[in-house]
Amino acid sequence: MAAYPFPLEKPALLEAYRRMRTIREFEERLHVDFSRGDIPGFVHLYAGEEAAGVGIIGQLGDGDRIASTHRGHGHCIAKGVDPLAMMKEIYGKKGGSCGGKGGSMHIADLSKGMMGANGILGAGAPLACGAGLAAKYRKKGEVAISFVGDGASNQGTFLESLNLAAVWNLPVIFVVENNGYAESTSRDYGVAVDSYVDRAAGFGLPGVTVDGTDFFAVHEAAGEIIRRARGGGGPALLECKMVRFHGHFEGDAQTYRASGEIDDIRANQDCLKKFAAAVTGAGVITASELTAIDHEVLDLIERAVVEAKAAPLPTAADLTTDVYVSY
Amino acid sequence: MTTIGLIANPVSARDIRRIIANASNLQIADRVNIVMRVLTAAHSLGVERVLVMPDSGGIRALLQRHLARGHSQHQRWPLVEYLDMQPTSTVEDTFLAARLMHDKGAAAIVVLGGDGTHRAVVRECRDIPIAGLSTGTNNAFPEMRESTITGMAVALYASGRLSAAQALAPNKLLEVSINEGAQTDIALVDAVISTDRYIGARALWKPEALSAVYLSFADPQAIGLSAIGGLLQPVGRRDPGGLAVTLGHDPAATRLRLLAPIAPGMVRPVAIAHWQAMPAGQPFTVAQQGGVVALDGERELAFDPGDRVQITLRENAFPTVDVARCMQIAACEGLLRLPSTP
Amino acid sequence: MARKISMKQAINEALDQEMARDPSVIMMGEDIVGGAGGNGELDAWGGVLGVTKGLYARHGDRLLDTPLSESAYIGAAIGAAACGMRPVAELMFIDFMGVCFDQIYNQAAKFRYMFGGKAETPVVIRAMVGAGFRAAAQHSQMLTPLFTHIPGLKVVCPSTPYDTKGLLIQSIRDNDPVIFCEHKNLYGFEGEVPEASYTIPFGEAAIVREGKSVSIVTYGLMVHRALEAAAALAKEGIEAEIVDLRTLSPLDIDTVIESVEKTGHLVCVDEANPRCSIAADVSAQVVQAAFGALRGPIQMVTAPHTPVPFSPVLEDLYIPSAAQIGAAVKRALAGGRH
Repeated sequence: MAAYPFPLEKPALLEAYRRMRTIREFEERLHVDFSRGDIPGFVHLYAGEEAAGVGIIGQLGDGDRIASTHRGHGHCIAKGVDPLAMMKEIYGKKGGSCGGKGGSMHIADLSKGMMGANGILGAGAPLACGAGLAAKYRKKGEVAISFVGDGASNQGTFLESLNLAAVWNLPVIFVVENNGYAESTSRDYGVAVDSYVDRAAGFGLPGVTVDGTDFFAVHEAAGEIIRRARGGGGPALLECKMVRFHGHFEGDAQTYRASGEIDDIRANQDCLKKFAAAVTGAGVITASELTAIDHEVLDLIERAVVEAKAAPLPTAADLTTDVYVSY
Repeated sequence: MTTIGLIANPVSARDIRRIIANASNLQIADRVNIVMRVLTAAHSLGVERVLVMPDSGGIRALLQRHLARGHSQHQRWPLVEYLDMQPTSTVEDTFLAARLMHDKGAAAIVVLGGDGTHRAVVRECRDIPIAGLSTGTNNAFPEMRESTITGMAVALYASGRLSAAQALAPNKLLEVSINEGAQTDIALVDAVISTDRYIGARALWKPEALSAVYLSFADPQAIGLSAIGGLLQPVGRRDPGGLAVTLGHDPAATRLRLLAPIAPGMVRPVAIAHWQAMPAGQPFTVAQQGGVVALDGERELAFDPGDRVQITLRENAFPTVDVARCMQIAACEGLLRLPSTP
Repeated sequence: MARKISMKQAINEALDQEMARDPSVIMMGEDIVGGAGGNGELDAWGGVLGVTKGLYARHGDRLLDTPLSESAYIGAAIGAAACGMRPVAELMFIDFMGVCFDQIYNQAAKFRYMFGGKAETPVVIRAMVGAGFRAAAQHSQMLTPLFTHIPGLKVVCPSTPYDTKGLLIQSIRDNDPVIFCEHKNLYGFEGEVPEASYTIPFGEAAIVREGKSVSIVTYGLMVHRALEAAAALAKEGIEAEIVDLRTLSPLDIDTVIESVEKTGHLVCVDEANPRCSIAADVSAQVVQAAFGALRGPIQMVTAPHTPVPFSPVLEDLYIPSAAQIGAAVKRALAGGRH
């Protein structure tokens, strides 16, 4: 008879919290620094969505691959990409994950199975099918995960990929991060039937819908789906209903959201608060243990920003390197 | 105005049983079709207003599109009125909708969902008759029935053409109490004690984690955890009493093993230690120290070692619309006959 | 003396030999095997024109027929390449690039650069190009310029069976994304091809005919039209040098310039439409780098600025002819007039 109330041991719970908190503080810091004009280009923040990213990706190894979206910082951090290198990348500096040549929307780390954030919505789905195909040939039980949003679920690439994965029985998991908005357009307008599980059913694939702000619900559902795929059970779809705290991009005034909506979700649907309440309420972790992690994370983010600002810029010579392996 | 309620749960049949077993997934588009059939059937027999639970799972949005399109096709239905509430996509929506329908005088409530959805409605609104349509994963409680007929039966009752004595059937339920009423809840079919202590994705499917099953009725044709009783010692919906089954984890305590369809597509052996009838009104104390009580197939109430958990069967606890009897009486009494010319 | 085989057979042989040599080489495309899921023969087609027939018998499930989903399977080939495989995907007609171009030019082409040098995407995308089959506007284009324009892609378009086998093997062994263009009208063309495996490096043009009067720079089917034109011109004492580019990216501009420095006159022939064509690109590069060597204006011979027509008489007018090439040579030599 189990007396322990969670599916993860305490060290794993602490690690999950740390990763979610790292994503949250990374994104919130970017929000502040972007509004001060420190950051070039576009950033799309994952704050509010951490439980889905960590709940799913936390169960993957380096040999498993993920193809991410434009809102990819959370996926990167969950997959183990170094936040210090990520911050340098976002600042366009040398030492960034991509040498400053990719930027926020293209952070990748193939050694960690992170096939890249992607500026083209839906483009990751076929790439994940490719990773799944490679995994099938390698026969090590590896899987690939394709993340799309409710908006990108309308892209032809996504729908084609569902069919291809079904036809080839690929170990690919399609995760729809349903935060209700495709840029400024609500899913009530843009999606003919707001059910991605039903879309998967059209291709004969099983699907599960979970509350994406509940880490444990995500962890359990994702765990079963991943286990099934590893064993050759084929592709499936996981819909995570979630909320994004910030705009589509930084600088988005979000006038398309009802007044009070963001305050309400920050108060009532904060996945980190829910996680903390669950683990402290069960007496498994103390509030001070969590606070200690919070402080360590804030120190890490501060260090990331300081180092990013101090890091050298790429040089003119860097402009023309790495177009090809050889030319 | 003759008013009924309609609660169509988009969240049901979306859970992990889809992955573990080949559980069905009734698409949103199909649920909306069921709703449309209820609306038109109810209208044809005098229902003037339908109170509908709003949702953010896709049903309302698609229903609005259908209603808008249908107007141009001259279809007819009652006034569709959405309850004034903010959907949260949790069972709280069903609880609130049931209370609001009760307060607004619905004569009956049509429910689309599985066992969990029906439980949620009855919990908040025990005196209004419900008519269930199964669209969830586990459907031991609601019937598989053509929704047009359900709409007609409910309308015959709501409009007064059939009396309560004619139209309604009595149902049992299980009352669950932790620490002498500090926490209470109900189950319509089964209350199952699980050793897993986290609520997670909610659905329960691992037999090794179960220690006891309490049933208000045990139908051998039912799917789900109640089959553990139904295939051991059947108890009908209208029969007195229920059934309490203790599962055997210790091989020494196991009397037999039973092959049972514990989830759609899943037939598993379950070790049984003991079973006995559950008379109405007699509290049964749960032996397990610390765990979760699953109500109608979903983990709902966690309890700690030292908490006292009791399950009591109640008879004649809530009414349902007996669709078969309604239609039988309607036919025999000529309720649907019309003059030869309009 | 090597045996003679067709370009189609040369492609088949290159694929067969590379798949035998390297287990990470896989193939995918619509009907590359043929008959999947049906009640008739498997390997029913071996590609719409039979180019890949017989490979399934030797390499089995390393050849994958695909559903009608270019975005998905071209993207999957690219994703698999990024994960260490060496896929050869077939885009049946290069005209179909529209439905999958993002995966090619925004994903495959850019991974290495965007990811700071840490990605390798060794994918080959084979596609049929060119007109003359009466296949009409959406199945007959020469879209080489669109791919050549994209940094990160390599573009290959051979004109002979010998070049085809060597360049295809090179493409498969290359670690960058390669668009391998096969002219459908040259599939039957025969030439000497060694039985052993061999490679031809990228970025090396071939002088297929030496001459001192004028440099004709071209690729693909137009190499053969240029040879026809050269034979006619020779009777008038004009000796054309023909430079077959073979790879458009990387481009061997040095060989072109060397030839122009020898002849002083340049005619660029391209089956593509005129705006932003390979002809325009080569001409501009030569003018910039070797203006002093030119003794007269450059002439470009291309298809017209129209879609490919269906009616055979019109299609024959669309494709640059030996006569048009000959006339362009004479205009080049006459200072660009008449």
